[in-house]
Amino acid sequence: MSRQPTPFHQNMSRRDMLRLTGVGAAGAALAACAAPVAAPDAGGDSAPAMEPVTVIATTGMPVNTFDNALERSLERLPNIAMEVNANSWGEGGWDGYSDTMLTRIAGGEQIDVIMIAIEGLRLLTAKNVLVVLDDFFAADEPANDILHNDIHVTLREMLQVDSKQYLFPFSWNNMVMYYNTAIFEEEGLDPPPTDWTWDDFLQTCLQVANVTGGADDRFAYSFWGASMFGMCAWYFNNDVSPISDDWLDSNLLDPKVAETLQFLADLILEHKVAPNPEGWDDWAQFHAGNLVMRTCGRWCIAGTFEAEFETYDLQYQPHHSGPLKTVAGTEGWGVSTSSENPEEAWEVVKHLSHSDTSIDLVKVGGSIPALRSVAAMPVFAEYGPPNTALFYESLDFAATVPSPTNFNIVEPILNRNYATIWNGERTVEEALQAAHDELQPEMDKLKQA
Amino acid sequence: MTSTALPDDRIDRQANPQKGTTLARREAWAGYLFATPALLGLLAFTALPIIASLVLIFLHYDLLTPPKWAGVENVTRLTTDSRMFKIYWNSLRLTVGATLLNNVLGLLLAVGLNRAMPWGLRYLLRTSIFFPVMTTTASLAVVWRFLLTQDRGVVNFLIGQIGLDPVPWLSSSAWALFSAMIYDVWKACGYLMVIYLAGLQGIPAVYYEAARIDGAGFWQQFRNVTLPLISPTAFFAIVISLIGAFQIFDNVYVLTEGGPGDASRVIAMYIYEKAFRGFEMGYASAVSFTLFVILITLTLLQFLGARRWVHYE
Repeated sequence: MSRQPTPFHQNMSRRDMLRLTGVGAAGAALAACAAPVAAPDAGGDSAPAMEPVTVIATTGMPVNTFDNALERSLERLPNIAMEVNANSWGEGGWDGYSDTMLTRIAGGEQIDVIMIAIEGLRLLTAKNVLVVLDDFFAADEPANDILHNDIHVTLREMLQVDSKQYLFPFSWNNMVMYYNTAIFEEEGLDPPPTDWTWDDFLQTCLQVANVTGGADDRFAYSFWGASMFGMCAWYFNNDVSPISDDWLDSNLLDPKVAETLQFLADLILEHKVAPNPEGWDDWAQFHAGNLVMRTCGRWCIAGTFEAEFETYDLQYQPHHSGPLKTVAGTEGWGVSTSSENPEEAWEVVKHLSHSDTSIDLVKVGGSIPALRSVAAMPVFAEYGPPNTALFYESLDFAATVPSPTNFNIVEPILNRNYATIWNGERTVEEALQAAHDELQPEMDKLKQA
Repeated sequence: MTSTALPDDRIDRQANPQKGTTLARREAWAGYLFATPALLGLLAFTALPIIASLVLIFLHYDLLTPPKWAGVENVTRLTTDSRMFKIYWNSLRLTVGATLLNNVLGLLLAVGLNRAMPWGLRYLLRTSIFFPVMTTTASLAVVWRFLLTQDRGVVNFLIGQIGLDPVPWLSSSAWALFSAMIYDVWKACGYLMVIYLAGLQGIPAVYYEAARIDGAGFWQQFRNVTLPLISPTAFFAIVISLIGAFQIFDNVYVLTEGGPGDASRVIAMYIYEKAFRGFEMGYASAVSFTLFVILITLTLLQFLGARRWVHYE
C-alpha cells in the first residue's frame, strides 16, 4: 500500500523545504546561543533543596589517587559536588604543568582547587592565581594545628611566598637511589652503604654493567638527564646548584657544576655504563632487569606495583662533597583566585589534604605524605621496599629544589643544553657556557620585573 | 529540420522577464544562507584570530594580566633572535625533505597501485599504506620513539643484527631532524598516494592507447603522458604538503621534543614555546606573522611557477 501524500507533502515545494530547513537551522542556532533560563530563586517557596556547589580540583597525580576521596566527599561534604581532573604535564615536569595550568585558567576554565609544587608556586603567585590561605588557617584551628604540628617546617615553608602560606602541603619528594637487589646479590655486591661516594658508585656501575650493544645489554644506571629536580639530586651531593642561592642568577659557570655534569657524561660516553637519557624508558628497563640502578622519588614505587617488581631497595644518592643534602620539593593544594566559591574550595583543600587521602596516596605508591603522622603509620612501611623509612628520614637534611619565578623558562634552557652534553656534541664547558649565556639574561629580566 | 522550440524556462523568462531575475536572486540568497555557517566559522576561527594576532604584535600580553603597549619592540626583536633563524633553518630542511619525499613516494606508490593486480591485494596495500594517515600523530610518534631509541630500541636492534653500529636516531643533532622526516613521510605519504591515485585514474585511457600505438614504452608513457596530465594534481599535492610540512608540530613535539638542544625544533614549536610556555603572546604573534608571510609568498611563487609546468587537459 502506498502512503497517501499528506497536505504538507502536497503543498511543499523542494525550494520551500530548503528554505524552511535553513530558517529552522538558524532558529536552532540562535536558541542554542541564548542564555539559559534562570534557575528559580533558591529562597522561594517552591524552590527545591539547595543544589551542591561544584568545586573542581586539578592535579598532576593520576586522578584515580583520589577515587576514595571523591567517595568520602559525598558524605563529608554534602553541599559540595567535588570533581578532580588531571592537568597535563606538557613538555616537561612542573614547568610544563604550570604552563598548562595558566593556559587553562586564562582560557576561562573553572578550576577552584589547584595542586602545584614549589617549582610552579612562584609563577602562579606572580600571576595572582592563588589565594593566600593564612586567613583560612587562622579561622580554622584544626587545620592550623595540622599545618604547624603534623607537617615538617621545611615542607610548610616551601609552600610560602613572602612568608604567606599559599598551599596546604599534601606530599613531597626527594630523590633516592633505587637498586635491583637480585642483581646486586648475583654480582656478590653488598647493599650500598648510607655514606657511599661517587667513587663507590662508579665502581658499582662498572661491576654490574654489561653493555655490548646487543639484545642482552644491561645498563648499570640511568639518570633523567633533564629537569631541575633530577639534576639537583646530583648537584646537591656536590654542594652546588645551577642557580644562585637567592635564585636570581645563573651559577652554571661554577666549576662544581661542570664537575658534576662531567661525572654524569662520563657514565654515558666514557664508561658506557649509562644510556643516553633521550628516549630511554628507565621505568620499563628497571622493571625488566635491564637497568640496575636509577634515581627517583617515591612516586616510582607506583610503577613497581604495576609491574609487580619486588626485588629492589633504596639508598641515598652517593655523595661527593659538602654537607649531606637531598633535594626536596613539596606539592600542595591551594585555592584559585578564579574560584567563585572560595569557602567551599577551602573545604575541598582540607578534604584532599586529609590523612585518609594521604593514606590513599601511600597505597598507590605515590609521593611521600606531608603528614608526619601518616609517614609514621605501618602502612607507609608496608607499601614500599625494606628501606622505605629513608624517604621521610631525609627531611632533616633536605634542601629545596631551586624554584625561581621563571622556573618554566629556566628549566627548558637547562634541559636543551644538557642534551648536547649527553650525546657528546659539546663539551661540558661549551654547553654550560651556552646555557649560561641564555640563562643569565632571563634571570636579569626576572630581577627587573 | 531546424527546431524553433525553446526550453521551458526560456519561454517562461521571455514571457515574464522579472521572474527569472527573482528566481536567480532567490537561489543566490539560498546559496548565501547555506554558506553562512561556513563563512561565520571562517570569520570567527580564522579571520578574527589573524587580525587579533596582528594587533598582539604591538602588545606585551601574558594571557593573565592586561596587555601593555609594546610599539615595534616585538618586531625589532625578530631581527636579533638567532634561535628563531636556526629553527627556521630546521623547518626549511624538514619542509623541503618531507615535501619532496612525500610527493615522490606518494606518486610512485600511486603508480604502483594503479596497475593491474588482484583486487584483494590492491585493497590490502591501499589500506595498509593509508592506515597511518587515519591514526593520531601523537600516539604513533610515541611508538616511533620506542622504535628509534638508541639503546635497546627495536630499529637499532635490527641494525645490529646485520653488523652495523647503533644509530643515535633521536639523540644526535645530525639524525634527529632526519628521524622526524622519516616519521612524517611514513605517516603522510599514504594521503598523497590517494590524491595521486585519484589523479591517475582521471587520465583517459585513450592517451595511453595512442602512446602505445606510437610505440611508447612504460617510461615514455610515464614521462610524456602521466606526468603532464597529472601535473594539476601534483601542483595541488605539493602546495598542501609544503604548507603542512611548514606547520609540522605534534610529531616532532612527541618524537624528539625539538632536541637535542634545538636540533629538531621547528617553527610551530617555537611559536608554541613563546606563546604558551613563556607567555609572550606579542612576540609569538610576531613570529607567527613571519610564518604567515613566508607561506603566502611560497604559495604565490608556486602559483606563478605553475604556469610553466602545470598542464590542464
